[in-house]
Amino acid sequence: MTGSMKPMLLSEVEHNPQPSPHTDLIRRMQTSGAEYPQIWHLFAFRPAATDHLSKFTQEIMRGEAPLSAGIRELIAAFTSYHNDCPF
Amino acid sequence: MPHIPLNETLPGIRALFDFRPETAAPLCRLADVLLHQSSSLSRADRELIATYVSALNDCRYCQTAHGAIAAHHLNGNEDIVLQVKRDYLSASISDKLKALLAIAGKVQQGGQHVSAVDVNRARQAGANDHEIHDTVLIAAAFCMYNRYVDGLATWAPTDPASYRARAAAVAEGGYNRIPSDIQAQVQTAKSTTAWKV
Repeated sequence: MTGSMKPMLLSEVEHNPQPSPHTDLIRRMQTSGAEYPQIWHLFAFRPAATDHLSKFTQEIMRGEAPLSAGIRELIAAFTSYHNDCPF
Repeated sequence: MPHIPLNETLPGIRALFDFRPETAAPLCRLADVLLHQSSSLSRADRELIATYVSALNDCRYCQTAHGAIAAHHLNGNEDIVLQVKRDYLSASISDKLKALLAIAGKVQQGGQHVSAVDVNRARQAGANDHEIHDTVLIAAAFCMYNRYVDGLATWAPTDPASYRARAAAVAEGGYNRIPSDIQAQVQTAKSTTAWKV
């Protein structure tokens, strides 16, 4: 873990990643000592569930729709801001 | 009345699944992993967590639908479902489920309300990290499903019997079948209407 990152509440989630693209990303960031968002640990811990979340996010954010990708990201950022979620 | 034109024969989230099948598929698969596929938490416990969060969010369709599924897994005991919704601390459920419901309730208020104290209480009551993780994800996912259902003002049946009938099918068959079941239902409705015309 890099210096400024706090340990997660669930250590098993942080330390038992399953084979997944997010696990590879985490390893790469840890090797280089760079910070990374801990949501990656959530996606690496339970890919059987979170793969569906990724597919849902891909569809609602980037799938064919009348709203542009930029507007959709603004809606997501606006909602996350009001939920006090900095990431 | 729904805020957008939806298939009037379908209640709650089913009308939204019919409106946007591309997003329906992963949402149903996520529900299936969290609530139906094998886990060290019983299906009844997981449905009770979903029901409790939906009740806190005041989502009538979701709390009634998942309450009925929970009751189905509890051999038809609707009283426990009511107890959990009214005052889960005095409900006839395990201490472990009470500690997990406390975490789910914090997630419903906002993710940052979950504290190390809540997590340690759940661990002391016998919950492992996987179960705590899934509790948080069920609670978070249901906050999304609840807001989706009510943010578009879908209609919810008032007759409890209609929820019981559907609950039995979902409790046994899981959530992955829902999109194809809805499609079949819509096709049947269309052909019936065509026949009448």
